[in-house]
Amino acid sequence: MNIAVLIKQVPVSDNVSVDPETHALIRSSSEGMINPADRNAIEAAIVLKEQTGGKTVVFTMGPPNAEKALREAMAIGCDESCLITDRCFGGGDTVATAKVIAKGIEKYGSFDLIIGGAMSSDGATGQVGAMAAEYLGIPHISEVSSLSCGDNGNIIAEKRYQGMQVKIKAVLPALVTVNFGCNEPRMATLRSSRAAKTKPLATYTNAELCMAKEDTGLAGSPTVVTDSFEPEHAKKAEMLTGSPAEMAARLKELIDSEKGKE
Amino acid sequence: MPEGICIFAENYDGNLDNSVPELVTAAHVIKAETGEKIEAVVVSDKCSVLSDQLAKLGIDEIYTVQTDHDPAFQDDSLGHVYAEMIRRIAPSAVLIPATPAGRSIFSRTAAVLGCGMTADCTELKVAKRGDRSFYIKQNKPSFGDNVFVTIEMKPGVFPQMMTIRPGVFAPYESCENITSKTSYFDDIEMSASGITVMEAVPAAAVTGSILGADTVVVGGRGAQADGNMELLKQFADKIGAAVGCTRPIADTGVIPFEHQIGQTGATIHPRICISLGVSGAIQHTEGIKDTKLFVAVNTDENAPIYNVADYGINADMKEVLEAYMKL
Repeated sequence: MNIAVLIKQVPVSDNVSVDPETHALIRSSSEGMINPADRNAIEAAIVLKEQTGGKTVVFTMGPPNAEKALREAMAIGCDESCLITDRCFGGGDTVATAKVIAKGIEKYGSFDLIIGGAMSSDGATGQVGAMAAEYLGIPHISEVSSLSCGDNGNIIAEKRYQGMQVKIKAVLPALVTVNFGCNEPRMATLRSSRAAKTKPLATYTNAELCMAKEDTGLAGSPTVVTDSFEPEHAKKAEMLTGSPAEMAARLKELIDSEKGKE
Repeated sequence: MPEGICIFAENYDGNLDNSVPELVTAAHVIKAETGEKIEAVVVSDKCSVLSDQLAKLGIDEIYTVQTDHDPAFQDDSLGHVYAEMIRRIAPSAVLIPATPAGRSIFSRTAAVLGCGMTADCTELKVAKRGDRSFYIKQNKPSFGDNVFVTIEMKPGVFPQMMTIRPGVFAPYESCENITSKTSYFDDIEMSASGITVMEAVPAAAVTGSILGADTVVVGGRGAQADGNMELLKQFADKIGAAVGCTRPIADTGVIPFEHQIGQTGATIHPRICISLGVSGAIQHTEGIKDTKLFVAVNTDENAPIYNVADYGINADMKEVLEAYMKL
């Protein structure tokens, strides 16, 4: 089974601010990491590949330094990688981003399965996977808790919905997004990290993807961020004082009194 | 000119999702300014039951596509059916619950229509452009900084499609005799889907669920320090509380991600919330509603958590909890 894995490089912490002029996120540090749920996507892809053969190709769209995330994914076990990077792809909303990713996957080759994390830890829209599936014209199953191979060209996923555990089958090719924490991602080793340095990394700019400028990035986004503002409430809490023991006693009073009300 | 506020009536097995009455309230926020009709779209094999339920919520116009089988999870086909319905209805806005099904189906619908979709709105405001046409300012908490951002569709982009965070708007109470009109789109066919449901069985109950818990203890980054997490759990046991956490803690795997509270996790409505080592970024605090007692313990006296808590304890959680355990 040939599997594409979609990953996103996200800021390491909440160490970002919002530009008061453009309202865009400023990632103050260049430090980035693989989005946690995407690590689960990488693991799911490697497991399926080990069962069925074929190869895993990891994709990301981002600035040139997102190569770091791709190298790490290859150190964990992905076979090949593709960096989609161009200034004209930047600043896009989910529609504009999904169009570019779908185009990049199509250009790279044909895949039986595409796996991504269900949500990023920064934007957290959970939209790009399903949108990319739409642009690729394939079915998708989102936010799944497990993934396995069906017989004759199917993939089987499980997810929880409305108190039910549901088992769902998709014909291939298909796209699946996996929940954070759905498996135990393996780690890179020193040896695998060294090996990853020579694994293939393709770079696609718009010279390769040939998309109309009005379809990508800010220009290709139907939505626009127009403002950012502070929450209105001021400090509201009444501060307790005294030693830790005194404050703990007061906390107990507060809890017991509230619990006693019903 | 597109007109009407259309809601996605999420449903499963003949029942409307709890998000639907909340979306009706959100639609009324817009209607109060623009006077537009409130519409609902529903695709199901049980349309008549669902439209009866919708009529009780005072929706002006209900649009349905009756299917010959249960279409749940066939989001590849459903996305197109809803897109065609919305093309015909031509509403100015489409409100979708920020639920797994809402995101999954309408991401495809938005891709088909090319209209974009704002995620996880917590506040809607109606504004007027220079030509006096209405548009919606869609506010949501931003990642990282303690700010909200406003998202809008570019002028001329319709419909204005957005997902609304569950638990933010109060559910709409059924009202006096409002007559709803139900229309069936008989000629919209659902195309063959690549998805088949093999099995659906009642899921095992989640233990220690934070969703219905009366008392919740929440751990933040400050709870990561040595031994604090153990202490936090003992404290939770002592006061009979469920344990929740912020996103950074869920990312470490110490507390399961089902227990994560905030923008990418659960919205909870506990009577008592004790927050330990949580700075109080709004994408977390937006997930805690309707508390009667909210106490925050933090070493930073300027932590924004004190903007939402009733009481603050500016101290090391370890010292306070150790003292508490001796009481």
